[in-house]
Amino acid sequence: MAKNIVRGYYDESYPPLPTKSTTFWRRNLLWQAWRFVVLNLKIMRIIVGGHS
Amino acid sequence: MAKILVLGAGISGHTAAAFLKKKLGKHHQVTVVSPSEYYQWIPSNIWVGIGKMTIDQVRFKLKPVYDRWKIEFKQAKATAIFPEGNSESSRPFVTIEYTDQARRGETENVDYDYLVNATGPKLNFEATKGLGPGKFTHSVCSCDHAVATWEALKVCFDRMGKGEKLKFLIGTGHPGATCQGAAFEYALNVAYQIKAYGLQDYAEITWISNEYELGDFGMGGAFIKRGGYVTPTKVFSESIFAEYGIKWIKRAGVTLIEEGVAHYETLDGEMKTEAFDFAMLIPAFAGVGLKAFNKAGEDISAQLFAPSGFMKVDADYSAKAFEDWSVEDWPSTYQNPSYSNIFAPGIAFAPPHQISKPMKSPNGTLITPAPPRTGMPSGVIGKIVALNIVELIQSGKPAIKHKASMGKMGAACVVSAGYGMIKGNAATMTVFPIVPDWQKYPQWGRDLDYTVGEAGLAGHWIKIFLHYMFLHKAKGYPFWWLLPE
Repeated sequence: MAKNIVRGYYDESYPPLPTKSTTFWRRNLLWQAWRFVVLNLKIMRIIVGGHS
Repeated sequence: MAKILVLGAGISGHTAAAFLKKKLGKHHQVTVVSPSEYYQWIPSNIWVGIGKMTIDQVRFKLKPVYDRWKIEFKQAKATAIFPEGNSESSRPFVTIEYTDQARRGETENVDYDYLVNATGPKLNFEATKGLGPGKFTHSVCSCDHAVATWEALKVCFDRMGKGEKLKFLIGTGHPGATCQGAAFEYALNVAYQIKAYGLQDYAEITWISNEYELGDFGMGGAFIKRGGYVTPTKVFSESIFAEYGIKWIKRAGVTLIEEGVAHYETLDGEMKTEAFDFAMLIPAFAGVGLKAFNKAGEDISAQLFAPSGFMKVDADYSAKAFEDWSVEDWPSTYQNPSYSNIFAPGIAFAPPHQISKPMKSPNGTLITPAPPRTGMPSGVIGKIVALNIVELIQSGKPAIKHKASMGKMGAACVVSAGYGMIKGNAATMTVFPIVPDWQKYPQWGRDLDYTVGEAGLAGHWIKIFLHYMFLHKAKGYPFWWLLPE
């Protein structure tokens, strides 16, 4: 019988991992196009608002 | 006619020179001194280091651009500043040493009315024995380094393709190094490529860092809204590493590199080693080693520069406890307090203190990231320094109108995590402000609406977009001045 591969007891065992749904939306072109716009607007805001 | 001398043609110096010439026109002289004949878009060196871009996609020659802009260009390195002139001349000047083929080694004194010291950092590989190109580790800090790193990485791919198991070590190569973001994205890109080639069973990738926790990035980490919670960037960073199969060693100050072995000290004071077949470790940064002399020829370097070699500006350099640090300590005009016609934008200015909490091992070794110095603040600071000098010249009044403090501006760091317009990935991280303001934002130190961390294809598109947009701007193509820093 194959030995159990236990998930735990290492640092890398504990962080949250993306679900299938999360990875799907990360690659979904329509959703990512929207996020592209939103993130660019946020970046623009912090650039323009950060100096006088 | 005023003479403005700009030392350095990186993001800050090049931006300053461009705006100075655009605003001042032909009635004033702008001179740029840079030891390299190229401008390089450093954020894309990561892609050179994994073979996704060529060196000529991330750099271009400066002289044709400066010829078009009517900016005088001298390919040389500055060695000394004489802000009061010397016994022969009362005009301030900088001694430069040419680095181009035709005049290599020749020196010249270049006088100025205003000096912009945008010399950036010295990549201080010497601070860690055995570190750096030509020794036992690789680097992506310059495009030349990135090319050599890609050549070494290709050899590793070949070896793994033949069934050999290899260990990769990526991170910081000094207890006080900064620029964790660049190493972070290189680690992710290496992991992505290894998986793309189906070689993941033959690679063990380890991140090593002087951060107290992952996601510190030299700015004390950040808090972001994620999944219905406010979480630290530690969780965000560890999650990405776990997803990409990367192990990590934190609170580690690398002190010595030997062939295939990194020696490091932990915050607990333990001395440990980590073996590697391939290592890309970021060095400590220091000032470029400029000297300064007064009219009598006495060395006044300590008056102009901090012990790190970076130039003193309008910051509060008084020693304070970590809990007393304030965003007001950070400079906003980058004007030298001793000589009001000298400015130090970009990486050349001396930060008043770290942003991350200083941590020492029981042996007294400071194991803490230095403050990050990214391209976005460097460009913004270069621009406001240029605008202030323009107003000083045109109005004749000493008032400084334009300000940009890292305690009041934000920054975006787009961490590439895989190349491709359809299959690419990147972690887009923004912070506002860069230096946490615990008075204005007492709970989280920053504005959570503009401090984000998000992985996805959009991040890759943003990084590609920024690559072409900033190269367009730097080359002075049509409407370059409309593109924000």
